[in-house]
Amino acid sequence: MVKIVKTKVEFEGRFRDEYVMVEGEEIQAWPGSYKGKLVGSPSPRLEAGAKVNGSAKYTHDVYLPGMLYGKFVRSPYSHAKVKHVDLSKALAQPGVVAGYAANNVPKLTGEKQIELFSDEALYQGAEIALLIATDEITLQDAIELVEVEYEPLRPLVDPEESLRLRGSHAIGGKDNLSGGTPRVYERGSVERGFSDADVVIEQEFRTQAAMHNCMETHGSVATWEGDALTVYTSTQSINNVRAELAEKLGIPLRKVRAISTYMGGGFGSKFGGGKYTLAAALASRALGKPVRIVLDRIEENLVTGNRSQTIQKYRIGAKKDGTLTAIQLTSVVNVGLEGWTADIGGPTKMTYRCPNVKVELYGTRTNLVSSTAFRAPGYVEGNFGLECALDELASKLGLDPISLRLKNYADEDQGDKIAYSSKALKEAYERGADIIGWKPGEEPTRRGTKVRAKGMASLIWWGGGGPPAYAQVKINTDGSATVVTASQDIGTGTRTAVGQIAAEELSLPLELVSVQIGDTVTELYSPGSGGSQTLASIGPAVRSAAHDAKSQLLDIASQTLDVAREAIALDSGWIVRKSGEKLSSVADLLDKFGGATVTGKGARGPNDPKHQVNTFGAQFAEVEVDTETGEVEVLKFVSVHDSGRIINPLLLSSQIEGGVIQGMGYALWEGRLVDATSGVSLNANLNDYLVPRSTDIDEIQSEYIEAEDTSNNIGAKGIGEPPIIGVAPAIANAIKAATGIRLRELPLTPERIYRALKKMEDWTSSARYF
Amino acid sequence: MYPSKFDYVRVQSVEEAVRVLGEHGEEARVLAGGHSLIPLMKLRVLRPKYLIDIGGIQGLKYIRRDKNTLRIGALTTYFELENSLEVSRTHQVIASGASVVGDPQVRNWGTIGGSLSHCDPSGDMGSCVLAARGLMHVRGPSETRTVESDNWFVDTFQSALRQGEILEEIEFQVPPGKLGGAYLKLERKSGDYAIVGVAVSLALDSSGKCSYAGIGLTSVGATNLRAKNAENAILGKIPTKEVISEASEEAFKEVTPSDDPLRGSAEYKKEMVRVYVRRGLEKALEAARSS
Repeated sequence: MVKIVKTKVEFEGRFRDEYVMVEGEEIQAWPGSYKGKLVGSPSPRLEAGAKVNGSAKYTHDVYLPGMLYGKFVRSPYSHAKVKHVDLSKALAQPGVVAGYAANNVPKLTGEKQIELFSDEALYQGAEIALLIATDEITLQDAIELVEVEYEPLRPLVDPEESLRLRGSHAIGGKDNLSGGTPRVYERGSVERGFSDADVVIEQEFRTQAAMHNCMETHGSVATWEGDALTVYTSTQSINNVRAELAEKLGIPLRKVRAISTYMGGGFGSKFGGGKYTLAAALASRALGKPVRIVLDRIEENLVTGNRSQTIQKYRIGAKKDGTLTAIQLTSVVNVGLEGWTADIGGPTKMTYRCPNVKVELYGTRTNLVSSTAFRAPGYVEGNFGLECALDELASKLGLDPISLRLKNYADEDQGDKIAYSSKALKEAYERGADIIGWKPGEEPTRRGTKVRAKGMASLIWWGGGGPPAYAQVKINTDGSATVVTASQDIGTGTRTAVGQIAAEELSLPLELVSVQIGDTVTELYSPGSGGSQTLASIGPAVRSAAHDAKSQLLDIASQTLDVAREAIALDSGWIVRKSGEKLSSVADLLDKFGGATVTGKGARGPNDPKHQVNTFGAQFAEVEVDTETGEVEVLKFVSVHDSGRIINPLLLSSQIEGGVIQGMGYALWEGRLVDATSGVSLNANLNDYLVPRSTDIDEIQSEYIEAEDTSNNIGAKGIGEPPIIGVAPAIANAIKAATGIRLRELPLTPERIYRALKKMEDWTSSARYF
Repeated sequence: MYPSKFDYVRVQSVEEAVRVLGEHGEEARVLAGGHSLIPLMKLRVLRPKYLIDIGGIQGLKYIRRDKNTLRIGALTTYFELENSLEVSRTHQVIASGASVVGDPQVRNWGTIGGSLSHCDPSGDMGSCVLAARGLMHVRGPSETRTVESDNWFVDTFQSALRQGEILEEIEFQVPPGKLGGAYLKLERKSGDYAIVGVAVSLALDSSGKCSYAGIGLTSVGATNLRAKNAENAILGKIPTKEVISEASEEAFKEVTPSDDPLRGSAEYKKEMVRVYVRRGLEKALEAARSS
């Protein structure tokens, strides 16, 4: 029977109440002592072969018969009035099929008014017009023939300037302070906390805008059959894309199918369809042919959003023994045109036991593309400030950084004062310290001009997952099984992990389990792959479905083979007596019923409201700084995580390594450089925007502490985002330990380090990391 | 990211290349390894109407030692230079420089002749050729001529090649004495163009005095350039710590780089020239002494 349960659903620290449908028998979580045959094994990805030999079809590989290509004309200015758009020369080119702009006909509108183009460009790359052609070269030639008359206007890209000019220069006619007020959080009284403190420190930190640079750029291919739309799209949420298209096109959900079979990277910017998907769908409907719009690398860097630039001011009070009495954070967050103010204060509110905390966030609008979620949004930025400030406090109090953190260890959630479902951060500190060879008070070691030392940082994140998420597990007539879900595998290994869970529950070898994922045609809703929640959301639903399928199969076996239901079990594709005697293979059993299959249904149940689910970790860096040049090498990085039960340690280590590498990019190299006067990006490409390569990375050691967690039936918590959260502060703290220099601004470029070492003024060029 | 339309001709000989180049004039570009040209075409910074692919010319890919002369064909790749014992033995700076150009893909395709013709001040090979005093052998429609490396680097993206000419060979003399060379590159991260690059080629005579000094610099001016005062500061002297320090100070003084928002301030680049010239000299000297 279906049960309706009201529950709190969490996504990246934001909660909402939701009613969820729970079906079937409630199954108990595997106890901590449970050792699975498949769950916990480092199985290679199910699709590894297809990815290596190139047969795995990504959105970029979709070429349909008769397909047309679309590309936007984009504003080269970060702020300009669009006075006139003339498509005539472009449309006169052979091979150019159609062109659309705000002021020309035919207008691109669906049943609801859709704003694809604007007469005022408010950021560089804003969509001005769209051309459709028979091939990409014709298209790119034609784009150059579109004549747009712009009236360039003054852009504001510096958030501090934007706040100062809030009254006189409203960007796009709206308040430059996003939402009109700062976002404020307060518990206890920081005033009281500071007056109770023996020591108060004040620290300012700055972080840069960072770009996602997914290996597969954003893109979609749309095609219609009658009134039904299919989109192949590179997305973190096929269900979001489907819902968005149905709403904006004014068609029923059943008429939209979104497919993302294989996906080349998503870090928060691929939760919706975006203008490219909508435009592909509209143009395809208008022209009666499939239309493909795939962003190029420059567009990817200009218009798909970014991690926000921040300015963070901390005030921290503590007793002589290190006990925190108050933490106050005031932060300006550059959200671009209308981005979201990520929770820079997350780590400040959650990481340590502290009764008095105040956070004020000034989400500030600028003439830059809207910022978007990016792998642990807010926490990566905020943790750099907080964890560097904590090290400064430790040094001021003469305490070891780990001791200071242990002194303020939070045994329960600090906001709601409820217990954690599990927390093994203490063990993570111990394991990490042991591996890196941490010695309190250790002096840096010198070799010529180079000096080495270690640093560390803590991290906290969400990742508990939750409902709604639905799955089915079919036992096929040949005894194999198929997992069916409208979740998606964005490269993290979801396909393999859910296959392992089903195989475990059904006691089948993994080769006999296939997984159907990344297609809304199955109508089995699953949440987007973000917030480190995919596996902890869909995994328990898959286990429930497999359990249901197993129950049904045993019912059938009991009646068919005339044995007591309680006396039999499933084992490696056989119905066996619990004594071990084989009774019938599953295939033979189902064969008696003429090609019958069994379908088990599963739904993700709610989390236990008495517990809060968080993930934790401790990260350690050993660095070597060349004191003559400012160059830094991260010789060794150790990342230890508490993410509950590990379904597949191989996939886990891939997530950790990827997150750490992305974190190193953020710490050392990456940053959007924007000309302060024109607001134009100087590094919207992979030549100048410095994503790490394998040759930039030394040793990374991934570790985990497998704490028992019963908040869902597989005991897993997320791992997608945690590994990036503590990387920058661990490296900055190691540089401080090596050189005595506290760097307060990311990225930690050699020149910045050199200047700090030589006590020279920081250099500000015409461009900055906005 | 597609280039604008162009016609493509694959030629079999230098003579044919020069003839076709003459026919199409300024609308044509010569394609060697393509690792500079193709990206610029994809960005539509360059829009040649004709591409003359000389990659198939058999006779332009060689490394030959003839007594005191080393000859390198223009189509020789960085990979081949990096791995040639002949090059390392006499012109270590060339092998060393070739080993840090771009990434393995670039080194497998990119050529010494292509790099010198492209004349990017951030190119590593130009500094190495300056340090080793290469002679560029050039073929035009009516004549062949030789250009000294000092006269080769005319301006940013402008070599001494005249319209219709193709670089065929780079010739190097082997100086007498114990030889050593090195190319050191400060980069933002691996595979990037240099913030500062320093090419050093040295020879020591039997008394231990420096009998040949070549120092080329990358990314600190409108072209690759020679640090002549620094060379003079070491030439004819026993390269002690003090002499090396003096030479690097000279290099620091003689460069006037400009601010670059991507790769750093002029001030930082100048400081790095001092550090890197010193380190380059030390490394080249160590190689010479152990040769």
